[in-house]
Amino acid sequence: MPAAAETVSLGLPVAIDRIDRELKKLWSEGEGAMTRASLMNLAVYSEEPGSLTRNTQLLARITENHACRAIVIGADPRAKNDRMEAWISAHCHLSRAGTKRVCSEQISFLLEGAMVKLLPSIVFSQLDSDLPLYLWWQSEFAEPMDPQLWSWIDRLIYDSQSWRDFNAQIRLVEMAQREAKQRIVLCDLNWTRLVHFRLAFAQFFDHPGSHHHFREIKNGSIIFGNGFRSTAILFVGWLAAQLGWEIRSEKNAGPIELGNSDGETVRIQLQEKGDDAPIASFTAQSHGIEFQVTQADCGDLLEVCRSKLGEVPARQVLPSSENDPVKLMSEELMRGGPHHVYLRAVEKVRELL
Amino acid sequence: MTKATEQTNPLREGLSTRAVPQPCAIVIFGATGDLTHRKLIPALYNLAADGELPPAVTVVGFARRPKSDDEFRKELAETTKQFSRQDVREDIWKTFSQSLFYHQSEFEDESGYQSIAKRLDKIDEERGTRGNRLFYFAAAPEQFEPILKNLKAAGHNKAKEGSWARVIIEKPFGRDLASAQELNRVVSDAFAEDQTYRIDHFLGKETAQNILVLRFANAIFEPIWNARYIDHVQITAAETLGVEGRAGYYETAGALRDMVQNHLLQLLCLVAMEAPTDLSADSIRDEKVKVVRSLRRYRVDDIAKLVVRGQYTSGAINAENVPGYREEEKVDPKSETDSFVALRLSVDTWRWSDVPIYLRVGKRLPKSATEISVHFKKAPMVLFNRDSTEHDQNVLVIRIQPDEGISLRMMAKIPGTSLRIEPVKMDFHYGTSFGKASPEAYERLLLDAMSGDATLFARRDEVEEAWAFIDTIEQAWTEKNAPSLTFYPAGSWGPEEADELLARDGRAWRRL
Repeated sequence: MPAAAETVSLGLPVAIDRIDRELKKLWSEGEGAMTRASLMNLAVYSEEPGSLTRNTQLLARITENHACRAIVIGADPRAKNDRMEAWISAHCHLSRAGTKRVCSEQISFLLEGAMVKLLPSIVFSQLDSDLPLYLWWQSEFAEPMDPQLWSWIDRLIYDSQSWRDFNAQIRLVEMAQREAKQRIVLCDLNWTRLVHFRLAFAQFFDHPGSHHHFREIKNGSIIFGNGFRSTAILFVGWLAAQLGWEIRSEKNAGPIELGNSDGETVRIQLQEKGDDAPIASFTAQSHGIEFQVTQADCGDLLEVCRSKLGEVPARQVLPSSENDPVKLMSEELMRGGPHHVYLRAVEKVRELL
Repeated sequence: MTKATEQTNPLREGLSTRAVPQPCAIVIFGATGDLTHRKLIPALYNLAADGELPPAVTVVGFARRPKSDDEFRKELAETTKQFSRQDVREDIWKTFSQSLFYHQSEFEDESGYQSIAKRLDKIDEERGTRGNRLFYFAAAPEQFEPILKNLKAAGHNKAKEGSWARVIIEKPFGRDLASAQELNRVVSDAFAEDQTYRIDHFLGKETAQNILVLRFANAIFEPIWNARYIDHVQITAAETLGVEGRAGYYETAGALRDMVQNHLLQLLCLVAMEAPTDLSADSIRDEKVKVVRSLRRYRVDDIAKLVVRGQYTSGAINAENVPGYREEEKVDPKSETDSFVALRLSVDTWRWSDVPIYLRVGKRLPKSATEISVHFKKAPMVLFNRDSTEHDQNVLVIRIQPDEGISLRMMAKIPGTSLRIEPVKMDFHYGTSFGKASPEAYERLLLDAMSGDATLFARRDEVEEAWAFIDTIEQAWTEKNAPSLTFYPAGSWGPEEADELLARDGRAWRRL
C-alpha cells in the first residue's frame, strides 16, 4: 500500500467512476500482511469548511476500535460553482495481538453547489454490502429531508447540543424517521455524553432495598458547563421518564419542578459554571441521604459518593465519558440496540429544550 | 444467563453495563498464592476500574504467612501492575486498595475463623458489605476440607437474614469420582448447591460463551448441527508449556484429569447440548449434564483402541531445547503420568449418532491453541468430488484461544478456464472486528458469582458424571494388561498412536 494512503491525509484523488477499481489497487499494491475489516458503513456528513480533513483525523482514531467503510462527505450547498472530487485512503492499525495490520477504507467526497443533491446516490453506490449504514450528520437538518436517503439509514447519529432550535430539529429527525418507517435508530451524542453519569447515578439503586428513595428524592442540583444546558435537561428528562415524574416547569424557569408518582414536588436546580465538563456534578437528596456524582479533576473519572450524617461516606471512582468526539463516537458505536429510553427522555423535556 | 437484580432498577434500562452486584466481602483462602496475585486481584481491579463493582466490595485475604494489610496491598499493587489486562491507574488503585485486607491464620485453626467473623462484622458496619460473603478457595485442594469444616463450625455458611453466603471452589474438584463425591459431601454439608460455584475458567472465556450464541442465535447452523450433516468433531487443547513448577500436582493428575475431565468435557457439552428452554443457569446446565450422561462408556478392551496416552520426551519448542517429562524437576524419573491424551468419544443421542468426537490435549506441543472444529460431511460424489481429499470437507472452526474467532472452510473454483477446486477460508477474528479487548474469564466469573448467576459454573451432577466417565479410563490404565504409555518428542503433535486413532477411521487431525 502506498505510504501516502496510510496517513491522515485525504489520500489518493480518484475519478468517481474508478473508486472501486482504485480501492482494489490500493489493497493489491499494499506491502506486508494487512486485513481489511468492516463492521459497518459509516457515512459522515458536514457542511463546515475544512471538515474533510478534520473528519479524516477523527476517523483515523475511531477506526482503531471500529473497523468500517468510512464515507466522508464535505458539502457546501451554497457554493456558486458545482464541483465534485473524491479521494480514497485507508486507516491501518496494529491488531491487539500486534501481529497484523487491520485496515479500514475511507472514501472522501467534496461536494459543492448542486452536487450536494447527489448525496444519496453517492452514499448508496459506495456501500459495503450487507453491512448497516450509520450516518453521522454533523450539520443542522434542513428541509426538505430526502426520503430516499433516510430510508437506507440504520442509525442516525447527531449531536443535539449544537442545535439552535431543538424542537424544530427533532421534528425533522422524526419526519425522517417516519419516512424510514421507524427503521432508523436515533443516536444523539448529547445523550451519549450522559452514559457514564447515568450509570454512576443508577448504580446507587441496584439493590431493591434502595428503591424507596425514588419516591423520597425531593431535591437535586446539576452543575453543567458552558453550552451544556441541553445536556443537563436531557439528564432531568431521563430521571423523569424512568421514575415516572411529570414536568411542571416552563422553559427558562428557575429550578425545574417535577411531580413524582405521589404528586409531590421534586425540584432540580440547574447551575451553569464555566467548566469544561458538560456535567460537573449531580446531587440528589432523599431523607438525609445524599447521592452525589462529580466529575473528577483528572477529567476521565467520576467520583461517586453516598453519604448520610453519622455514617462513613461510601466513595468510589468510576469511568467517565470524555467530551471528545472520538470517545463519544466510540461509546455510541459500542452500544447498539434501540434507544427507547432516549426517546422517552426527549418526550419528557422537549418543551424545556 | 440470568442476573439476579438486573432490570429491577428502572434507571438501568437501556444502559449496556449489567447491574452492579450487591456489596459483599470476598474472603480468599490462599491469598498469598499465584492465583490471587495473577488472576483474582487483577480481575477485581479491572472490574472496579470499569465501574462494575459497588464501592463497598471488600477483599479479605486469608493465609498462613504473617502480613499487615499494608504489606498485602503493596504486594498486590506490584503484581496487579504486572498482570492486569489494563494499565493500573494510581487514582483508581488508591481507592480500590483501601478495600483490600489481610487476615493471618492457619487453615486448620478454628480460632482464625472466629476472629475473621468478628472482622467481617466490623467491615459490614464500616464499609456496608451488608453481611454478604463470597468465600473463594484458591488454596491447595487438600486444604478444602478443613476450610469447609471450619467455615461451618464458625457459622460462616449461614448468611444473616437478607444476606447471602456463597463459596467458589477452584479445580481440581476431586481426583476421581469417589473423591469428588466426598468433596461434594463436605461442601454440601456446609453450603447448599445454590450457594456453591465450581469454577472452570474455560467457561468464562468470551469464545466459549459465544458457542451458544453461534449455535442458537444463527438460524443457519442448527438445522445442519447433527449426524446427517456432521462427519465428526475435533476438540484440541494444545500448549507449548511443560509442567512449569506444577510437577507435584501434575504427577498426581496427568492430562486426563487436569484438562479432559473439566475444560474439554465442558467445551464438548456446549457443542453437543440441545437448546435449553431458557437462559437460566439450571436450564443450560440440565442440557449440558445430559451430554455427559450420554457419553458412551468405554469397555475395558475399548480403551486400548480408543484412548491414547502419551508423555513427552526431550525435544525442541520454538527452536529451544527442552527436557523430557521424566527429566523435569520433582518428576519421578519412571513416571507413568500422561502429558498427552487423545480420545475417540461417542455421544449416544439421536443428534450425534455415529458422529465420532475426537479430543486431544497435550503439553509441549508445537503451539498453544484451543480449538473446536466441526467437520461436515462431503458433498455427494456426483459433480466435483471424484478425486476427493479430506480437504474437501467444510470445516467450521471455533478458536477458543488465542486469536479468538470463527472460520469456515469451503470449496471454491480456482479462477481460470479449467475447473479446479481448492478450499478457501472465511475468517472472523474477534480482535479484528471488535477493537475492545474481552474481559478476562475471571472477571466475568467473579462478577457472576457476586450476582448469584451460576450459569458458567459446573453443577454437582456435571462434575460427578464427568468423573464417572474419566474413572473408567483411569482404572483401565492401572490394570495389569493396561495399554502402555506412548512417547512423543517435545515439539511434535503427540505420539503416532494419536494419528492412528483417526487414521483407522479414515480421518486425520486438523492441522493447527
